[in-house]
Amino acid sequence: MNEQKNQEWNLLVPLAPAIALVPVLVVMGVEPIDLGFAAIAAPLAMFPVVLLIGQIWNGNEKWVSRFKEGGILALSALSVSLIAGLWMVLDFLGAGEKKVHGDPLTWLDFDVLRYDGTQWNIDAGFTNISFGIWLDPISAMLLFVATFLCFLICWFAIGYMTTDDINSNRNHRFFAEFILFSMGMFGMVLADSFLWLFIFWEIMGLCSYLLIGFYYWKESAAAAAKKAFMTTRVGDVFLMVGLLMLYDIYGSLDFAVVFDNPSTGVGEAPVKASELQPALLMLFIGCVGKSAQFPLHVWLPDAMEGPTPVSALIHAATMVNAGLYLVARMVPFVDVDYYGVMGMEDLGIIIAWVGGITAFMAASIAFVQNDIKKVLAYSTMSQLAYIFLGLGSALYLMSTGHRYEGLFVLGGALFHLFNHAMAKGMLFMASGSVIHEMHHAHHELHHHDGHGQHDDHDEHFDAQDMRNMGGLASKMPVTSIAMMLGSMSIIGIPLIGGFWSKEAIIAETWLGALEYEPLLLGPAILAVLTAGMTGFYMSRMWMMTFAGEPKHNAASHVHEETLWIKTPLITLSIVTATTGALLAFFHIGEFLSSKDYSMGLDDLDVTKALQIAFLPEKRTLMAVGYVTIALSTFVGPIIAMKVHGGSLKEGQEANVAVSWLVSLSAAFKTIDVSGMANSSLSDSLRKRLHFDDLYDWGISKTIAPMAKFSAWFDANVIDGIVKLVERTSIQGSHWIRTYTTGSTRDYILMAAVGALSIFILIMGVTI
Amino acid sequence: MSFTGPLSIITLVPLLSGLILLVLPNVLPSDISMRMKASVRNVAIGLSSAIFLLTTLIFVGTIGQIDWLSIGMGDYVLETEDPVWLIESIGVTWHLGTDALSFPMIWLTTLLIPISMLVQWDAEDGHSFHSLLLIMEGALIGVFVSLDLFVFYIFWELTLVPMFFLIMIWGGEDRKYASMKFFIYTFTASVLMLVGILVMYFNTVADPNYAGTLTGHHFNLVLMTEQSRVDGLINSEGLRHFVWLLLLIGFATKMPSVPVHTWLPDAHVQAPTAGSMLLAGVMLKMGAYGFLRIAVAMFPESTLTFVPLLVFLGMASLVYGAVVCLGQTNLKRMVAYSSVSHMGLIFLGIATMQPLGFAGALFMMFAHGIISPLLFAVAGSFKHHYHTLEIGSMRGIAHHSPFLAGHMMLGWMGSLGLPLLAGFVAEVAIMIAFWMTFGWWVLLPALTLIFTALYYLTSMQKMIFESDDPHIGKLPDTMHDEEPRDVTWHENAGMFVLGVLTILFGILPFIFWDMMSVWSTEFIQTYLVHAMNMLEASP
Repeated sequence: MNEQKNQEWNLLVPLAPAIALVPVLVVMGVEPIDLGFAAIAAPLAMFPVVLLIGQIWNGNEKWVSRFKEGGILALSALSVSLIAGLWMVLDFLGAGEKKVHGDPLTWLDFDVLRYDGTQWNIDAGFTNISFGIWLDPISAMLLFVATFLCFLICWFAIGYMTTDDINSNRNHRFFAEFILFSMGMFGMVLADSFLWLFIFWEIMGLCSYLLIGFYYWKESAAAAAKKAFMTTRVGDVFLMVGLLMLYDIYGSLDFAVVFDNPSTGVGEAPVKASELQPALLMLFIGCVGKSAQFPLHVWLPDAMEGPTPVSALIHAATMVNAGLYLVARMVPFVDVDYYGVMGMEDLGIIIAWVGGITAFMAASIAFVQNDIKKVLAYSTMSQLAYIFLGLGSALYLMSTGHRYEGLFVLGGALFHLFNHAMAKGMLFMASGSVIHEMHHAHHELHHHDGHGQHDDHDEHFDAQDMRNMGGLASKMPVTSIAMMLGSMSIIGIPLIGGFWSKEAIIAETWLGALEYEPLLLGPAILAVLTAGMTGFYMSRMWMMTFAGEPKHNAASHVHEETLWIKTPLITLSIVTATTGALLAFFHIGEFLSSKDYSMGLDDLDVTKALQIAFLPEKRTLMAVGYVTIALSTFVGPIIAMKVHGGSLKEGQEANVAVSWLVSLSAAFKTIDVSGMANSSLSDSLRKRLHFDDLYDWGISKTIAPMAKFSAWFDANVIDGIVKLVERTSIQGSHWIRTYTTGSTRDYILMAAVGALSIFILIMGVTI
Repeated sequence: MSFTGPLSIITLVPLLSGLILLVLPNVLPSDISMRMKASVRNVAIGLSSAIFLLTTLIFVGTIGQIDWLSIGMGDYVLETEDPVWLIESIGVTWHLGTDALSFPMIWLTTLLIPISMLVQWDAEDGHSFHSLLLIMEGALIGVFVSLDLFVFYIFWELTLVPMFFLIMIWGGEDRKYASMKFFIYTFTASVLMLVGILVMYFNTVADPNYAGTLTGHHFNLVLMTEQSRVDGLINSEGLRHFVWLLLLIGFATKMPSVPVHTWLPDAHVQAPTAGSMLLAGVMLKMGAYGFLRIAVAMFPESTLTFVPLLVFLGMASLVYGAVVCLGQTNLKRMVAYSSVSHMGLIFLGIATMQPLGFAGALFMMFAHGIISPLLFAVAGSFKHHYHTLEIGSMRGIAHHSPFLAGHMMLGWMGSLGLPLLAGFVAEVAIMIAFWMTFGWWVLLPALTLIFTALYYLTSMQKMIFESDDPHIGKLPDTMHDEEPRDVTWHENAGMFVLGVLTILFGILPFIFWDMMSVWSTEFIQTYLVHAMNMLEASP
C-alpha cells in the first residue's frame, strides 16, 4: 500500500517544466510585475485543455492513473501561478516600493459627451477602460494567499476527488472549473481597475456556481448552486451600479486614476460625499453578497453541497474574501488626511454594523449545526464578519481623521483575513479528510457485510454528520492536529494565528465606540460576545469529531489519510501555528497597514501593536481585551467540553499533541443537553432564523405570480389584440363577400351609389 | 465597381445561386435532378463559406485595404462610384457601400449562414432548405449594403419570402399560423415604413447625378442624409415627426419592441432551428440598423424629441420581456422573449445620446447576433434529440448529453451577461451611458439583470441538472424509450464555433468595438450634437 503511494510521487514530474517556466521568463527579461499576466494566463490556458482532453479521453486508463483525470495538469498550471505570485511578492517586498503598476493594455476605447453649460462636447476627461497589473501591500498579501492556497487545495483535491467512485470520469470537469476559478481569483487580486475587479469577480461567481453544482444530479446541489448565483447576483447588480456611479465621478475606474486623488473627480471637480457615499454603499452591497453577510448570507451554508475542496478554496479561503478586498480598497476614499473626501463617516458605521450583526447571527446558528461543514460555513461567515467589522471601524476612524488607529485596525483586519484564510482552508481540508475517510469506512463496512452493490448503501448514513463521528483522534493523528490548530486560530487562543488579528479588531472597535462614536458600541459588544461563542462552537466541533467514543460503526473503522491529503494539512498547520511569529518577525500587520501610507507612521511597530492589544492606556480597553480572551479561551471551550467532551474508547490512544485536549475534555464532561436541543430557540436557530423561509415566501408571493400574470397578459391581451384585429378583418371580408351576389341589378345599384358618392366628394372638396 | 464590386458579389452571388439551386432540380430530368439534389448542400455550404472568407478578407484588409478605424457615419467604403441605373425614371440606382454600422452585421450574416446550414445539415428536402438559406443570405446582406432606399426596401421585404417558406414548410405543428402571422404582421409594419420613405423621397431635391428623369427625386440614402444634415430633409416639423413615427413603427416591429413583439415568439417556436438562428441573429438587427441609419440620422430633432418614447419602449421591452420570460414553459419561447428583452437594451443605448451608448447598442447588435443563434441551436438540439421543448419535462440531461449541456451553459451564461463573454461588453457600455444621461433610472435595467439570471438558471436547472439518479435522470415522455443521445457532430461543430466566438469577442471586444466606437462618436458629433445644442438653447 505504502509503496504504491510512494510511487505516486512520479506523477509530479510534469510539474517540473511548469515550475521552471517563471525563472525562464525572468531570465528572458520579463518584468516581475508582468509575471502577473503569466499567473492569470497559465490557468486560463489550461482550462480548455483539461476540459476538452477530459471529455475526449473520458475513462481512459492512462488519463486516470497518470494524469489523475486532469488534476496533474491543473496542478502544473497552478504551480506556474504560485511561482509567479511568489516571485512578484518577493520582488515587491525587496524593492520597498509602495505600489507597482504594470503598463495597462487598452481594452475598450470610447468617447463621452458632456454638457459644459453652453454646449455638448466630447469630454476628454474620461479615460478608456484598460487592463493592467497592480500590486500594493493589500494585493500582494492576497496574491500570496490565493496562489498558495489554490495550489495546496488543488493538491488536496487530487487525493480527495479521484478516489471517489461516484466522481469517476467526471473529475476533469472539476479540475477545469477549479483552475478557471483560480484564474478569476488571481485576476481579481491583480487587476488595476474596479471594472476588471468586477469582471474577475463574476468569473469566480460562475465557477462557484458550477462547482457547488458539481454533483448536478443532486437536487439539493443544483438548488444550492442556483441560490448562490442568484443571491450574489443581487449584490453584483448593485455593485455594477456602484461602478457606473464611480465612473461618472472620476471619469475612470482605474486605481491609478481614482486613487491618485480621490477628492477631485473628472475635470478637477471636487467630489462630494453625497455622490461618493452612495456609490461606495452600492459597492458594499456587492461585497455583502459575495462575502455572505447579512442579509445576503443565505447562500453560503447551502454552498457546502459542493465537493469539500471547493468549500475549502472558494467558500472559505479565497472567493468570499473578494468582498473584504473591495472594502479594503475603499480606504483611500475616506482617508481625510490623504486626499480623502470629507463627510463619509456613515459608510464605516454601516459596514461595522453589518459585520457585527452577521458575526453574532452566524455564530449563534453555528451552535446547533451537526453537519461538520455547516459549522465551518457559519464560522466562515462569522469570521468574515469580524473582518468587515474591522474594516468598517478602519473606514470610520480614517474618515474622522484618526488615521493612526484606523491604519492599525485596517492592518489587523487584513491580517485576520490572512489568518482566517489559512486556518479555514486547513479546517475544511481536515473536515474533508474526515468526511472522505468516514465515507470510505462506511462503504467498506457494507462491502464486508455483504450488503452488495456499491450504489446500494444506507441512504440515511451521512458522512458529514458529527453525530456519527467521535473518537477519531486515535485514527487520524494528522487531521486531528490540523483541526486543533485551525480551531485554535479561529477561536483566538493567545499566541496562535487569529488571536493577534482578532484582538486588534476588537480593541480598536471599542476604542472607536468609547472615544468617538457611540453608534459603534453595538457592533463592539456583539464582537466580544461572538468571540466567546466562537470558542464554544469550534471546540464543540472538535470534541464531537475527535473526542469521546465512536458513535457510529463507521467511525471506528476509519483509516489514515493518503499523502495527497496529508501534505497540505501539514503545510498549513505549520503556517497557522507560526503566524504569530510571522507577525513579530516580518511585521506583517505593519506592512499591511502602513506601506501604502507611510506618512507619519514610522513609529508603528510590533511592540506598539502588542501594546495596543494587551496594555492599552485606557483601563476600559484593557478590560475589554481580557474579557475577550477569557470568553474565547476559557468560557467557550470549557462549556463545549462540558457538553461534548469525553475520553476515547478503551485501548485507543491519541497522539501526544492532542491527547491532552481529549483528557481535558473528558475531565470537564458533565452536562447532558438533550433537553435544550428541543427548545424553540434552538429550533429556529436550526431553521437558520427563518431567513431562507422568508426569502422563499417573498419570492413565491411576488415574482412567481408576476411572471405568471405577465405570461398570461402577453398571450391574451397584447397578442389578443392582434388576434382580434385578425378576426375582425376576416369577418369583415366575409361580410363584404356577401355583397358578391352575382345579380346584375345589385351591381348596377352599387355602381350608381359609388358614382354618386364620388361626385358628392368632389363637389364637397372643390366648394 | 458596379456589379462586380465585392459587396455586389456577396449580395448577388448567394441570391442568384440560391435561386438556381432551388429551381434547377425541379426542371431537370429526374436522374440528373436526383444527383443534384444530393449535392446541393455541399455546394451551398461551400459557397457560403467562400463568401464568409471573402468578407473576412475584406475585414482584415486584404481586399480593399480598408482602414476601419477611420470611418465615421457618412463615410462609406467599398462604395459603388458611378450610379448604375435600375429604374432611371424615378431615380433608383444600384448603390452599395458599407461602414462600421453595417459591416459587423454583414460579417455576422455570412458567418451565420454556413453555421445554420451545418446545424441543420440533415434537414428534410435539404436541397430546397439550403438553397433557401442562400437566398436568405443574399437578401439579408442586401439590406445592410444598399444605400438606395428603394433597393433597401426591396431587400427588406425580400427577406420575408425565404423565411416565410422556411417556417411554412419546415416548421413545427402550428407552422401555418405562425408563418402567416409573421409575414402579415411584419409586412404591414413595413408598409407604414414605406409610406415614410416615400414622403422622404418626395422631399428630396433634384440631384444632377441621381435624380429620376421623370420625378426629379431620388432614393439615394447618402444624398438624403447629407441634405437632411445641411438643410433639413422635410421642412414641416409636424411632418418630420410623423415620418419619424412611421419609420419607428416599421423598425420597432422588426426589432421587435413591446408592444409589437407578439409575432416573434410564435415565429420562433414554429421555425426550424436554422430559421430561428437567422431570425434572431440577423433579422431582428435589421430593425435597429434601419432605425439608426434612417430615422436617427435623418431626423435628429425628432429623435431627441422622442427620447422619452424610446426610453419607454426600451424599458418596456427589457423589463417586461424579462418578466414574461420567467413565466414561460417552452424553452424556445423563453429564448424568443429574451431576445425581446435584449433588443430593449439597444433602444436604451440609442436613447442615451452618448457615443458610448451608441457603440454599446452596436455591439449589442453584434453580440446578440452570436449568442442568440447559439441559444436557438441549443433549443433546436433539444427538440431534435428529446422531441420536446417543455421546461421541466426532463432532468439530469447533462449526463446523457454533456456537449449539449456544455453549449447550453455557455450560451445561457453569455446571454445573461457574464463578463468575458460578448454580451457583457455591450451591457456595461449601455449601462454606463445610461447612468450618465438618466441617473437612477439605471436601476430598472440593472435589476432586470437579476430576472434574466433567474429565468436562465431556472430553465437550466430544470432541464440538464437535478435528477434522483446520476445515471438515468428523467427523460421526457416524448422520447418513447429511445436511447438518449448527445448532439450530432455537425450540430456540435456549429455550436462550437458560436461558443468560441462568444468567448473571443468577450475577451477581445475591440476587434469590432473600436470601429463602432469611432463611428458612433462621429455620428453623434456630425448629426446629433447640433440638434442637442439647439434643444438646450431653446428652453
